[in-house]
Amino acid sequence: MLQVNNLSKVFRSEGGSVTAVDDISFSVDDGEFASIVGTSGSGKSTLLALLGALDSPTNGDIIIDDRTITGLRDRQLVDYRRKTIGFVFQNYNLVPNLSAVENVMLPMEYAHVPASERRKRAKKLLEQVGITDEKLQRKPGRLSGGEQQRVSIARALANKPKLILADEPTGNLDSENGTMIFDLLHKLARSEHTTILVVTHDLDIAGRTDRTFKLKDGKLQKK
Amino acid sequence: MNLFSRGIRNAFRNVIRTSSIIIILALSIGLSIAMLAAKQAVQDKIATVKQSVGNTVNISPAGFRGFEGGGTALTSDQLAKVSKVSHVISVTQMLSDRLDSNTTNLQSAIEAGQLGQRFGPGSSDTQPQLPTTDSSSSSPGTGTNTITRSFTPPVTITGTNNLSTTAAFNGNSAKITSGATINASSDENVALVGKALAEKNNLSVGSTFTAYNTTITVKGIYDTGTTFGNGGVVVPLATLQRLSSQSGAVTSATATIDSLDNLATATTAIKSALGSDADVSNSQDVASQTVEPLESVKKISVFSLVGAVAAGAVIILLTMMMIVRERKREIGVMKAIGASNAKIMGQFIVEALTLTILGLLVGTLVGIAAASPITKTLVTNSTTSSQSQQFGGGPMGAPGSNAGSRPVGGPAFRSIQQTSRQTLQNISASVGGSTLALGAGLAMLIAILGSAVPAYIISTIKPAEAMRSE
Ligand SMILES: Nc1ncnc2c1ncn2[C@@H]1O[C@H](COP(=O)(O)OP(=O)(O)OP(=O)(O)O)[C@@H](O)[C@H]1O
Ligand SMILES: [Mg+2]
Repeated sequence: MLQVNNLSKVFRSEGGSVTAVDDISFSVDDGEFASIVGTSGSGKSTLLALLGALDSPTNGDIIIDDRTITGLRDRQLVDYRRKTIGFVFQNYNLVPNLSAVENVMLPMEYAHVPASERRKRAKKLLEQVGITDEKLQRKPGRLSGGEQQRVSIARALANKPKLILADEPTGNLDSENGTMIFDLLHKLARSEHTTILVVTHDLDIAGRTDRTFKLKDGKLQKK
Repeated sequence: MNLFSRGIRNAFRNVIRTSSIIIILALSIGLSIAMLAAKQAVQDKIATVKQSVGNTVNISPAGFRGFEGGGTALTSDQLAKVSKVSHVISVTQMLSDRLDSNTTNLQSAIEAGQLGQRFGPGSSDTQPQLPTTDSSSSSPGTGTNTITRSFTPPVTITGTNNLSTTAAFNGNSAKITSGATINASSDENVALVGKALAEKNNLSVGSTFTAYNTTITVKGIYDTGTTFGNGGVVVPLATLQRLSSQSGAVTSATATIDSLDNLATATTAIKSALGSDADVSNSQDVASQTVEPLESVKKISVFSLVGAVAAGAVIILLTMMMIVRERKREIGVMKAIGASNAKIMGQFIVEALTLTILGLLVGTLVGIAAASPITKTLVTNSTTSSQSQQFGGGPMGAPGSNAGSRPVGGPAFRSIQQTSRQTLQNISASVGGSTLALGAGLAMLIAILGSAVPAYIISTIKPAEAMRSE
């Protein structure tokens, strides 16, 4: 479902240029749960940003379900981020003055889901990740890190994306919470038949995924 | 939960900051509203003054300075030309003369007073001393006869062919308090006598007095409300021309024009008809001169208005730029989860509008409270400074003749200047519905101007901002 051909990203600045992603090609199957590992600065986050159309590549193509993402117009890119991708960030990135439910409803509003459906679906998703009752109305500042990450997983699933991109989702959590979040992602991906690409430096976690890609200096290392 | 409620809620994310911004914004909006009200009040006043002045053209002999002398009287023939000028409805002609003890048995209702004694033109050699011996001896400290000249104030007699204008009554509007009016176009020996003069000389309707060796019958008594105005005699124009042996002579005339719009054209036409024989000025010139300080107040209020609106826009601009910068990553996150630029901009514009509307609400109260004091202060400051320069004029209704000031008008115009000056300061500004609507519109303009740059910044923020960890 995901195919990447000769993808490169070069950051240019006064001090020279950095090739963060260097001529990468790979593909991921439908419903697959894959992980990306690599040392700090190896280009994992950059690759994820390119896949989620948060940034544009210097070279190469990204093809999802036979649709080439690279070269799309701005408006189509917004639509792609909205409907095809669900993002989970290392530092949760919830909107601070919105409650848990409102955070999960936000992507649905952007995708023009009818208002009445939004709240229902948001509550259902939050229930699936274990956020219930009065925690639904809490703002991120009053939730624990693990709880915030669970809300952010619910938010990523809001518009039933085909591909979930998670950048070190357990990076800020202790191992117990990390394992719980990971299991949750795994379970939901299975039940919703969603493809997942998760960046991690936890080799235990990587070992439990269907496939692991290893990045070094922006290059993909064949195992 | 939608874009609007989020925008409104975001406006209160930092309560202390929001309150301070609202207060500053309220001051600038309040000032804008006060300035709008001031401008409106001044504009209305200008219109009222100009309207009340009416559409008349004043004609006086060239170089004429009332009884101070100068100039050659106009003739009825010349004024006949004026009547033919298009848009002229009617021409009121006047001849003024002064009656002294040689020509009348009337005694002036006006006491010469100490200054009158000093400045009066009379001298004891040429003038019989009637009541003046009384007044000079009864005022102690005036010294001897060498300083105090005897002077009998003369009685002004005015001939006019139209009694409906104020000009005949020393520039005041007059009421007939007893008797009836006279036929101004007749040639009879009849007169209207001012109330004060009538009292002084025990005249009533039907009494007679002598002037120019002719017996004249009092037909009515009039009251103008002023001592000078009540000290005169008014007779038909033809009568005075005959009695004073000034056949066809006119010392001032007033042409009435059909509409204000034609005033300027008609004035020019009259000027060219009379050539250099006459000074021609129209009432609007006088009014314009009178309302000049108001025009400058209007300018000040417009400048302040623009300044206040600009200040408000800058406040919102800086605030929104600060907020957008602060929430750069949040904006990136919104983009990453599928928000379009328009949605995010919309949310921030709602936030800016919320601040502006709250500023508007508080600012309206500020504006209502400040409108009248500000207007009054502006008007008082600018009219008092110009008043002394404009005021003045010779005795008995000579034109305003202070050095440097343009000689304009006769008695009628002097009264216009006087009354409009008095009413100028009697101004009050109120914040009406239209002012508020305009103020609200300006506030929206402030919000939109102040949101434009932040909106642009929003559009340049990359969704990849979401990936940054601090
Ligand atoms: N916006 C940018 N401008 C310039 N250089 C960048 C930018 N973003 C990333 N880089 C550089 O690209 C390289 C890859 O960065 P990236 O964030 O993808 O690494 P990573 O594998 O996610 O590292 P970590 O494990 O620390 O998160 C690094 O050398 C980084 O300095
Ligand atoms: Mg990273």
